[in-house]
Amino acid sequence: MFLLSICQWVDSTRLNAFLRQSNWAFPTLDTVHTLGIVLVAGTIMLVDLRLLGLGLRSVPIAQLVARIVPATWWGFGFMLASGGLLFSSEAVKMYHSPAFRIKVVLLALAGLNALIFHRTIYRDAAAWDPASVAPFRARLAGLLSLVFWIAIIAAGRAIAYAPGYDLG
Amino acid sequence: MMALSLLPAFEWLQHTYLGETIRHSAALIALLEIVHLIGLALLLGTILMVDLSLLGFGIGRQPVHRIASELNSWTKAGLAIMLISGPLILSSEAVKCYKTPAFWVKMALLAIAIAFYFTIHRRVTLAEQPASRSSQTFVAIASLALWIGVALAGKGIAIFQPV
Repeated sequence: MFLLSICQWVDSTRLNAFLRQSNWAFPTLDTVHTLGIVLVAGTIMLVDLRLLGLGLRSVPIAQLVARIVPATWWGFGFMLASGGLLFSSEAVKMYHSPAFRIKVVLLALAGLNALIFHRTIYRDAAAWDPASVAPFRARLAGLLSLVFWIAIIAAGRAIAYAPGYDLG
Repeated sequence: MMALSLLPAFEWLQHTYLGETIRHSAALIALLEIVHLIGLALLLGTILMVDLSLLGFGIGRQPVHRIASELNSWTKAGLAIMLISGPLILSSEAVKCYKTPAFWVKMALLAIAIAFYFTIHRRVTLAEQPASRSSQTFVAIASLALWIGVALAGKGIAIFQPV
């Protein structure tokens, strides 16, 4: 299978050998990855809670998004870079891990949800933003985002625990 | 040393029904770690917003005390989630934690961070009269350093072997 052969190639690279042999690379990347996802989830949750009317109600959403999204992107950058390297250290194992596949799908769904939110209902934010409770579609986007990110954290942890991890 | 006398307590904790049950269930440990991480995200996310406001990177022109008072309950919710899930995770590997320096570093930083949050941090962030520029900067940096230190030491428990 195409994806499997890519993973097999990744596992044969020098980068993979380095990541596997180094004593400090994996723990360091793991730490950066955890802090990255905490930054992403922590900042996104604030926007989600605001959309749901559960926090920061006196702050306009546009102001909150303008301030918080750069921090989210920083976290996402760290998460993606460290995640890519962690993947490179055991690509074939990840190919066989159901939790890893679920996590990738959830990441795509979280991205799609954010994209749809920003391209549709958020465009008219000027009209509804002053209200402390956002319109239904904005609240739905906030709720979905909360669910997706909690699920992404869960799937990430499950990669280390779920059966199938050692089948590769 | 006082810490030495705590070993029996850690052994007892690990051998309780709760500790044994969690230790023998990978699903339960994974679930608790997920809850612990979500608590951390809530805690760090809200603290980061307040501390960035203190450093002058606030949300629009919202005063620090307004952001702090609105996020206060979510920070405490995150802390509560961590303080419930944390000891449960501890009960599954209490003796290993006892022998891991990173665990003690984390507990020390956590105690300082909690004390700092409920005293100096709150006083500075919730005051309607802003404190001086330099004390705001100091409080923000100390707060971020303490909480990130707690998170890093927590990761260290999993990385470093017991000695």
